[in-house]
Amino acid sequence: MKISGEYLLPVSRDDAYTILQDPAMLARAIPGCETLEKIADNEYHMKMKMVLASMSGLFDGKVRIADPNPVSQFRLIVDGAGKIGFMKGDGLLTLTPADGGTNVHYDGSVEVGGTIAGVGQRLLDTTAKMLIKRFFTKLNTEVAGSAASSGKG
Amino acid sequence: MIPREFDYEAPTSLQETLQLIASGERKLLAGGMSLIPMMKLRLATPDSLVDLGRVPGLNHIVESSGTLQIGATATHHDIETFPLIRGRCPLLAEAASHIGDVQVRNRGTIGGSIAHADPAADYPAALLALEAQIRLVSASSDRIVPAVEFFLDAFTTALEPGEIVVEVLVPAEPGAEGYSYEKAPHPASGFAIVGVAARIQRSGGKISLARIGVTGLGARAFRAMEAERLLESGSSLDQAVATVGEGEDANSDLYASAEYRKHLARVRAKRALEVALRRAS
Amino acid sequence: MATTTVKPETLVGKKVRRREDPRLITGTATYLDDIKLPGMYHACVVRSPYGAARIKSVNIKPALELPGVAAIFTGDDVKDLPSVPCVAQLPGLRMPHHHMLAQDRVYFVGHPIAVVVARDRYLAADAADAVEVEYEELPAVADPEKALAPGSPAVHPQWPDNTAFTFHQEGGHIEEAFREADVIVKQRITSQRLIPMAMETRGVVADWHAAEKSLTLYSSSQAPHLLRSLLAGIFGIPENRLRVVAPEVGGGFGSKIDIYAEDMLMTFVTQRLNKPVKWVESRRENFLGTIHGRGHVDYYELAAKRDGTMLGLKLKIIQDLGAYLQLLTPAIPTLSVLMMPGLYKFKHISADVIGAFTNCFPTDAYRGAGRPEATHGIERMVDILAAELKMDPAELRLKNFPAPEEFPFPTATGLAYDSGNYALPLKTALAEVEYDKLREEQKQGRQTGKLLGIGMSAYGEICAFGPSPATPTGGWESATVKIEPSGKVTILTGASPHGQGEETTFAQIAADELGVNIDDIVVYHGDTQLVQYGIGTFGSRGTAIGGAALYYALQELKEKIKKFGATLLEANQVSLSGGACIDEKSGKSVSFAEIAAAAYRALKLPPNTQPGLVATHFWEPPNFTFPFGAHVVITEVDRETGEIAIRRYVAVDDCGKIINPLLVAGQVHGGVAQGLGQALWEQAVYDDNGQLLTGELTDYAVPRAHMMPWIEASHTVTPSPVNPLGVKGVGEAGTIGCSPAVVNSVVDALSHLGVRHLDMPLTPEKIWRIVQAGGQA
Repeated sequence: MKISGEYLLPVSRDDAYTILQDPAMLARAIPGCETLEKIADNEYHMKMKMVLASMSGLFDGKVRIADPNPVSQFRLIVDGAGKIGFMKGDGLLTLTPADGGTNVHYDGSVEVGGTIAGVGQRLLDTTAKMLIKRFFTKLNTEVAGSAASSGKG
Repeated sequence: MIPREFDYEAPTSLQETLQLIASGERKLLAGGMSLIPMMKLRLATPDSLVDLGRVPGLNHIVESSGTLQIGATATHHDIETFPLIRGRCPLLAEAASHIGDVQVRNRGTIGGSIAHADPAADYPAALLALEAQIRLVSASSDRIVPAVEFFLDAFTTALEPGEIVVEVLVPAEPGAEGYSYEKAPHPASGFAIVGVAARIQRSGGKISLARIGVTGLGARAFRAMEAERLLESGSSLDQAVATVGEGEDANSDLYASAEYRKHLARVRAKRALEVALRRAS
Repeated sequence: MATTTVKPETLVGKKVRRREDPRLITGTATYLDDIKLPGMYHACVVRSPYGAARIKSVNIKPALELPGVAAIFTGDDVKDLPSVPCVAQLPGLRMPHHHMLAQDRVYFVGHPIAVVVARDRYLAADAADAVEVEYEELPAVADPEKALAPGSPAVHPQWPDNTAFTFHQEGGHIEEAFREADVIVKQRITSQRLIPMAMETRGVVADWHAAEKSLTLYSSSQAPHLLRSLLAGIFGIPENRLRVVAPEVGGGFGSKIDIYAEDMLMTFVTQRLNKPVKWVESRRENFLGTIHGRGHVDYYELAAKRDGTMLGLKLKIIQDLGAYLQLLTPAIPTLSVLMMPGLYKFKHISADVIGAFTNCFPTDAYRGAGRPEATHGIERMVDILAAELKMDPAELRLKNFPAPEEFPFPTATGLAYDSGNYALPLKTALAEVEYDKLREEQKQGRQTGKLLGIGMSAYGEICAFGPSPATPTGGWESATVKIEPSGKVTILTGASPHGQGEETTFAQIAADELGVNIDDIVVYHGDTQLVQYGIGTFGSRGTAIGGAALYYALQELKEKIKKFGATLLEANQVSLSGGACIDEKSGKSVSFAEIAAAAYRALKLPPNTQPGLVATHFWEPPNFTFPFGAHVVITEVDRETGEIAIRRYVAVDDCGKIINPLLVAGQVHGGVAQGLGQALWEQAVYDDNGQLLTGELTDYAVPRAHMMPWIEASHTVTPSPVNPLGVKGVGEAGTIGCSPAVVNSVVDALSHLGVRHLDMPLTPEKIWRIVQAGGQA
């Protein structure tokens, strides 16, 4: 499944580039992320709990940052597997300065397998979009929060 | 069905129910038409279920000073067939008649359906067009939320942890209103590829009120407000429906692409409005 | 005492209500899952979520420690056991060893990896969830054409070309036909992968009796004797110590002819644990682990004269086999080849089949098995030729049918069509819809943008499988008739009906032959300990072969009854009618019941005659039967939405003589439902990684009652000379006749836009896009 979209982060492109690769920030923004531990440069072990309506599932996987081209582009590769299936996401994030911050454009694909792929076709697209939206919304909140706290300091 | 083990509680009063769910840990079971299939597949593995089936006073359908009060555990079949709803809010009865199949309508409830907030469910389109309100109660609160503020995203509503839908409040139809629910169902699931609920009131040969609720197209049901505005200001049907779904991030799946869905929403909107206009005296 | 009553009238041909129904509609029938044995364990199968992967490790320890878990078996435990069987044979066929549990690799989503056995089903499922499997995903291929392309991932590493077999058949001189032709039309036509979706999923209960070294296996099977023979061979259990019972079976549509990994697994488990064990397939597993059907990509070329005379037909079939070969998998497309000429007088044919391995569940016989594909192909090609020649499609068909006096009609594929009057059903159906008037309406409608479609199919099928040389498992059938001492009649049929209604039709046949009341007759089937060896119910063979075997057993028995009658009446010759033996000379008679009593009391035996009234007959048919018919479908296409509405559905079927019109109607309705499913809604969709995306009933669109049009079904009757009943078979006719008629109708509705072909299913978006593009696909 192809996915693409755009979000505005209210920070400079340098900051956006850093934030989007900051494991602590990612851990807070990735929906359902429970732990994110560094296992190598640009590679993290992640545990997440996906919750969607009455559905829920634990996923164990990796987050990897590849092909970095500071500060305009990098690839974010996520894969995880659990009892209810597995998923793999591979997205190219392109950062461009914009009015009021930085435009983050993502373009990539999501593959799912197992039960969620076999019974959830109707909702995969909606769900993927929703999770991405939640990610950026949370990221925005976090950015705003840290901006506020650094302003105070 | 072979689900994971879970605790099951069947309270016999609303008070008891609210106490049980106050912590937000327990999952509510109404008709079970969405939850049970997920449990069967072990995609949902709740530790604890609270069954609303034995809570009295939750499935009423009454009219009080121009408002229909529909209890959360009223079934789709009740809503489809109750003379009060057919007479005073035929749009809702028509929408209910499109849900799933007979077995689903016999078990499924309006409260369960809207709390679940499936992006392709039928009720939200009708409730938005009807400008319905939803009463939410918890152990410590009792509030009424307009439908338009209730459906937030796919499977996401204004319900807070510990809160439960107890009632749907729908203004009774003034009598001269035209209505229609037009749906393109998925041939397998029966869910709406798109569904459009329309209400029309006329006065002096003009459209004095237009309400259009759309489900299935995006992550949540929405009101096509621009189309409503255009109709109320004398634009043609074609001009109005051309704006339905504009700017909406349309869903796509194996059966229907985003482009087709959007087109279908406009065709169905037009057909719903045509029927509503005919029915509006 | 003798209580047999005399029946008042003949029953064959009458609308006798199904005797099976009371137990079915009151919910008291015993299906597989209703079987509960003392001390029975329950099994749950751990399945692969990947289409192709290496199994790095399987850790059963955490699962074994859970309460109530009796045992867990993995690939290693069964590695020395034989393959899940395929009995089809083709020259050069590559047959992968299909272990009942995956060894080091998985080949499709749902591939069994381990079996967990526990005290109850819930614990078994919990423990299955706790089995930890580590995979390394491998590249997969799910599309048969992609699988055959160079560089594709290999489903089986030992066969990088993914080719299980190639098969060629020729009749006449195909190149000559193409040289002589004025026109040649070509088209790629697909018959998509379908999932049979019987109402009852599969299930097995296996019960090993260690002291007797005997096994009782209950399985939701269409062919219990075959299952017994194959299991006996696989496990080395003598057949006389192996009892297979097919309890009430809730539909099969071909999917329950197969022997499955789970039949073998449960046999293995019960032997290892010395306890009965049950496995019942969930609907989700039914999608992943029960055979699929169709899966054709066909390339057709049809050569004809300008006047419409059809000369030659070339066909290349790419058959999606899936990852393994189930019971008959590779044989199915060869049936398509046999029936590729349809009802037309082609003198020259040439066919090539390529069997492609894919990382999907195997395909096999699904209602129609090879013939719907062939019929869909030829009936589409005829319409395409008609469009090319600007000829009326009905006229083109009528021009190329053999005349009734040309039967038995030899085909270029080597068959002899038994009997037929092919023009009659088509003409009847067209008259029924007022064809000419419709064409006029269509013309008028097009002026205002209305899209009306008139589609037809003239189908033929090959049924009653079949002469033994043409059938990998033997093609005869058996019947035993026993007149009990009280005069009651017991019939044992080797066919194993599972919803078809032979308990009714066979009783009708026997009632008429013996002249007894139908209520005095009981038909048993499906238990190898009770019933003599039989072949089973599939390929529309139950009545045409099983019924014929019954007929001959009845004749044998009637002779013996007459001998007893003559002895009792002290006559030289008697006739049997109206439930009594009558001495024409003296006018004296002796009732059927009295004869039965005398045959068992055995005080006065006829010369050279032993006591008892039992006859068993095994009947080998001399030929297949070839039912035919015509379906005409009127559709209206919504040009704004692409949605298709069926205005009329007219089916005129000829299945030879009709034993029971109610049951024939039921078969036609059910068959049409499944044909419509293929034409409009159903498709098994795998993604490039071998994930089955339509893996539940929320996405796989099986037709529902409210989606069905009204079916106007009628019949012409051309008896078959092949069997004494004159019947041909009707179980698959509806499915075979339906899909081309529907697609032809929709293509016809869009033909003025230049549309020549549409692949199934005809989803609204597909149609909308074509209308949008002005007919350009």
